Amino acid sequence: MARGFKVRRVTVDGTRALRYAARLDAAERALVAGLMEQVAELIGAPVPSPEADDAPADEFEAIVGRLGIGGADSPEGEAGSRGERPSHIEGQEDPAIRRLFPIANRTDPEAAAEFARLSEAGLRQRKFDNLRRAAELLGRGGSVELTPADAQVLLVALTDVRVVLGERMGLRTDEDAAGLEAVAATLEESDPRLQFILVYDFLTWLQESLATALLRGLD
Amino acid sequence: MGHSAMGRRVVVTASPALDEIVEVDADIAPDVPWITLVWNDPVNLMSYVTFVFQTYFGYPRSKAEKLMMDVHVEGRAVVSNGSREQMERDAEALQGYGLWATFQKDD
Repeated sequence: MARGFKVRRVTVDGTRALRYAARLDAAERALVAGLMEQVAELIGAPVPSPEADDAPADEFEAIVGRLGIGGADSPEGEAGSRGERPSHIEGQEDPAIRRLFPIANRTDPEAAAEFARLSEAGLRQRKFDNLRRAAELLGRGGSVELTPADAQVLLVALTDVRVVLGERMGLRTDEDAAGLEAVAATLEESDPRLQFILVYDFLTWLQESLATALLRGLD
Repeated sequence: MGHSAMGRRVVVTASPALDEIVEVDADIAPDVPWITLVWNDPVNLMSYVTFVFQTYFGYPRSKAEKLMMDVHVEGRAVVSNGSREQMERDAEALQGYGLWATFQKDD
């Protein structure tokens, strides 16, 4: 049974320090690390051209697909709910990627384009590196015990994975997120969407425990 | 010389004797202030957003929590202001944290 993160005060070489410790079994660590690797791959992949939309689904797509919790099984089915996103971006790139690198200026398209040109490659690289590093931290055997810096690496990586899963599940509002449990109750046990919700829920629980522990560590 | 309230920013400084109010005319300010906004999203946790505001901006817990609640309740909040370059840096950093951050001119 997994145990969430707790802050621990330790002494390292005579100096007081903080550590963030959790207990996750091998399967749980492998699951989270695997998702982080897959999101890193998604971020690291070259930007597809509009014509490449029919390219074969990669492993990540095969697992998480584009499952719409509200019954929207095709990407076309949920296109209408993304009204805030300009159409020139819509359809040209994975919406989960667009959510990770949102249009940075909503009032000035030129400023937004310049920001994307100057920042996006660096942002992508840092996210990619961070996700890989987080997966590596979980790949170690035994219990998870992290320095404050490593705990932040994991914290941010958990965000990126949850953002991508949330986008895949079609979460748009706080009500959507709050209603996940009710949706789960209506799904057959064999429904892949149920597994998806359970995984998302586990990641949420894990991240909440880590964020709470890190806040405590700031006190 | 602008006389509208919008054209002026009021800076309050504390002196030993009394509070001194200095008016700064925005027309002669070298930088038109820009702002960084964070928008509500259904994924990011309240604890996480608070942590990011505290660690990235160095805001005290009370301010970080207030801004987080503003994002949550109002749908968005202005989390910093300053020059365009600084706001671009803030937006980039916050996007790095996975927050839905944008910057714009403060009109």
